[in-house]
Amino acid sequence: MSFDAPQEARRTAGTGIEPGRDYGFFTDTSVCIGCKACEVACKEWNQLPAEEDGMSGMSYDNTVDLSATTWRHVAFIEQMNHRPDGQTPDFQSRWLMSSDVCKHCDPAPCLEACPTGAIFRTEFNTVVVQQDICNGCGYCVPACPFGVVDLDGVDGKAHKCTMCYDRLKGGLEPACSKVCPTDSIQFGPLDELIPRAEDRVASLHDRGVEDAYLYGAPGHPGATGGIEKLNAFFLLLDRPEVYNFPAAPSRPAERIGLALGTGLATFAGLALAATALLGNRR
Amino acid sequence: MTRRELPDTWRGESYYGQPPLKNPQWDWKVSGYIAIAGLAGAAQALAWIGTRRDRDAFRGARRNANLIGLTGAATGSALLIADLKTPRRFYNMLRILRPTSPMSFGTYILGAFGVATAVSALGDISALRRRRAVARLADIAQAGAAISGAGAATYTAALMAATSNPYYAAAPRGLGAQFSTSSVAAGAAALALGERAGGRDKSAKQLEEVAAIAAVGHVGASLVAGRSRRAAGVERAVAGSAHKSEAADLLIAGALPIAGYALNRATGGRAPAAAVVGSLALIAGSFVMRHGILNKGKKAARRPDAAFGLAQPRNLPGTDRRRLGGRL
Repeated sequence: MSFDAPQEARRTAGTGIEPGRDYGFFTDTSVCIGCKACEVACKEWNQLPAEEDGMSGMSYDNTVDLSATTWRHVAFIEQMNHRPDGQTPDFQSRWLMSSDVCKHCDPAPCLEACPTGAIFRTEFNTVVVQQDICNGCGYCVPACPFGVVDLDGVDGKAHKCTMCYDRLKGGLEPACSKVCPTDSIQFGPLDELIPRAEDRVASLHDRGVEDAYLYGAPGHPGATGGIEKLNAFFLLLDRPEVYNFPAAPSRPAERIGLALGTGLATFAGLALAATALLGNRR
Repeated sequence: MTRRELPDTWRGESYYGQPPLKNPQWDWKVSGYIAIAGLAGAAQALAWIGTRRDRDAFRGARRNANLIGLTGAATGSALLIADLKTPRRFYNMLRILRPTSPMSFGTYILGAFGVATAVSALGDISALRRRRAVARLADIAQAGAAISGAGAATYTAALMAATSNPYYAAAPRGLGAQFSTSSVAAGAAALALGERAGGRDKSAKQLEEVAAIAAVGHVGASLVAGRSRRAAGVERAVAGSAHKSEAADLLIAGALPIAGYALNRATGGRAPAAAVVGSLALIAGSFVMRHGILNKGKKAARRPDAAFGLAQPRNLPGTDRRRLGGRL
């Protein structure tokens, strides 16, 4: 990166991008209109091929899922009988739309699982897979609590959202947040994004949207079980599962001690029995 | 202060029933590796214990354990490399050592086991064994192979438990006990078969006793692990196949070998064929069990009821439920 980069993000996202500061996404699903511009911008910038799955039958969502070649995915949820009394007002089904993305967890289970060091934490506190290191062991795939990272069958490497690492280095905000027409996807430094998100929840509560809550911000649902925060966090309006998010994800590495400790203790117990049984006995 | 609790309780909602998690592209190569590493690692550990107790009686078992260890380390490494999706970069596994990744530290355990076993096997070459320094080195290496063997036999439980897969993650302790008991049983059974083939019935009988105890332990471990998975609400989602493979596990790696060994013992050693069948069943069972667990996990990860069922606040270990919210 050149030292005199123009820092376009100052004009588009209202923030400069400097190494050593923590950046993330705040995805405010209450203003998502399901235009999928983020999906398209992501594919364009990162040169990701289209998926050829046809029609899914899931509302307007034919993308279906995040994958090795789809790093933003807009979920469409149509709800009937959503009023507290169980009724649906005339022509008023409830629409929930949400643009899913890699959460850039802190700590990140995929990174902690990666045996080659291909997955690393960048100077912007984002999580990126180095394509020239990854050997396709695939251990990051079951490690991810959100089903984000995946192996690509064509090149045999793991892929996921990089939060446009190349753009950040050039002073540009990520493609998806720049293109988002309603500012549902906001990019910025976490120390500014999190208070802004808290204010947004408070103002929605004031206006009677009692269901609004943050998912993945520190101390909130989604940041659980040893995962301190999701650098890409969300404002949701229904249970996390409705958006295909786990209610209480946990950090897989914390189970190593339990499994290994019990395994070795059991092994030692049997070795003790073997010491008594093998060899010359009186 | 914004609200930090989840709205309502989870009533089984999901996103069009879509899989919440992605699966490793692991197949029989990985479950086969886990069984082989367990068998070979435990065989080395048991041979070392036997050698310490009675060097002459266990000379044959020690040689066999070295052969099993060499074959296991070689085929295990080959299986792991074949499982990579970019196998020509296998050496990138050695770029770092990461304590939070069983895939990473397991590579070093397997490597140490292979090297220690190879050095230990030098002591089996009679021309070399006459040199005292070589014999001494082989003895030290055998101890190293025993210790790294215990690691190779058990770290794979951490490998599976340290994922977000609901079936693997629901019972980390149970999985550790399942894998180590099965490893010791299969390792003892393999050595016992060698002793039977070599006509050394006394050590064969002793190893079969170890195998029988490990098999009993395995039955207990499998029952406990199954209970943990049911308590976490994971087993229900894959109940059909889970019951089938649990039954296969308890029969092949439990009832059958225990009956075989008991029959031989009850007849005063006049039914060695029953003991041989028992040993073969234990070895086969160690593969069947690993493969069953691998496959059930792959099924469970695709099921929202299993994946979301485990990822509920009540299943978070050692955390303050009230702070995390989710009225239950």
